[in-house]
Amino acid sequence: MGREVAETCMEGMILEMVSAYSTRFYATKPDLAARRIEAIGYQVGLQLSERYTTERPRFGDHLEAIKFICKDFWSELFNKQIDNLRTNHRGTFVLQDNRFRWLTRIPINSLPNKMDASQHDPSAPTPDNKAAQDTSMHLYFPCGIIRGALSSLGIPCAVSADISNLPACSFVVRIKA
Amino acid sequence: MIVCVAVVGHENNPLYLQSFTEADDALKLHHIVHSSLDVIDERVNNPKKSGSTLNETFLGLLYPTENYKVYGYLTNTKVKLIMVMTDLDVKDADVRSFFRRFHAAYVDAVSNPFHVPGKTTTSKSFGQRVGSMVKSFGPGATA
Repeated sequence: MGREVAETCMEGMILEMVSAYSTRFYATKPDLAARRIEAIGYQVGLQLSERYTTERPRFGDHLEAIKFICKDFWSELFNKQIDNLRTNHRGTFVLQDNRFRWLTRIPINSLPNKMDASQHDPSAPTPDNKAAQDTSMHLYFPCGIIRGALSSLGIPCAVSADISNLPACSFVVRIKA
Repeated sequence: MIVCVAVVGHENNPLYLQSFTEADDALKLHHIVHSSLDVIDERVNNPKKSGSTLNETFLGLLYPTENYKVYGYLTNTKVKLIMVMTDLDVKDADVRSFFRRFHAAYVDAVSNPFHVPGKTTTSKSFGQRVGSMVKSFGPGATA
């Protein structure tokens, strides 16, 4: 049997991991920080999909694998399924989670106000942009997990996230032909 | 008796290969494992022939040789588990349950955060676990 850990600890650790990479290790290079966080997610995705697919028959096509991600994989990670799945039938899938768990703890509205006080440099990003950038930093990890899980199932793909209407969050999966 | 087990990655790269014989026939066993990869490819790419085994992880008896029987198992993540044994009359159910435990051990081994995906598994505890599974294998020893 696996050992268990409180969900709050897990969420706290992920928040800290993102903040450590984006404000401490690579504070001046957000691109590099994003890539590193995504790479960590990728390895986690590889290992999780190895574990969660043990007791099931092999997938016949891409859609079956994506459905597995939406249902079983998401339930294991977040205790809920993906709320909406759309596809253009040409290799692009949009997975929408109406209340993405790892974003619910992030103070979206308080961030811009806090930034105002220390804003002296006119060339610095506007508070709104900065908040959006900080939030999107938290999405590289789940993107990496999805990419890792799918590539270990034999589906190379690119995953990006869209947070235009929080706390809903869409993950866009583009399968490489 | 199981004489050899192997884990092969999705690009047919060996991840773990271990023989359990006293005699100096490791090379021969490795050759058998190697040639079984083609049989697995054939089974997976021409599912018509295999009929009911379509999309099941357990691939069943891959091919019998004069002295050995070779069984295969293909995970969802395209990792192949191969087992070579000398017993000529074994129940499929026993082999199935062996592979299930073998797979579980493999999953635990790759879940180690220090394991590099796609590299050979050097974990000692994985080796010991597989060793004890192989020793305890036999009809009626599936508990």
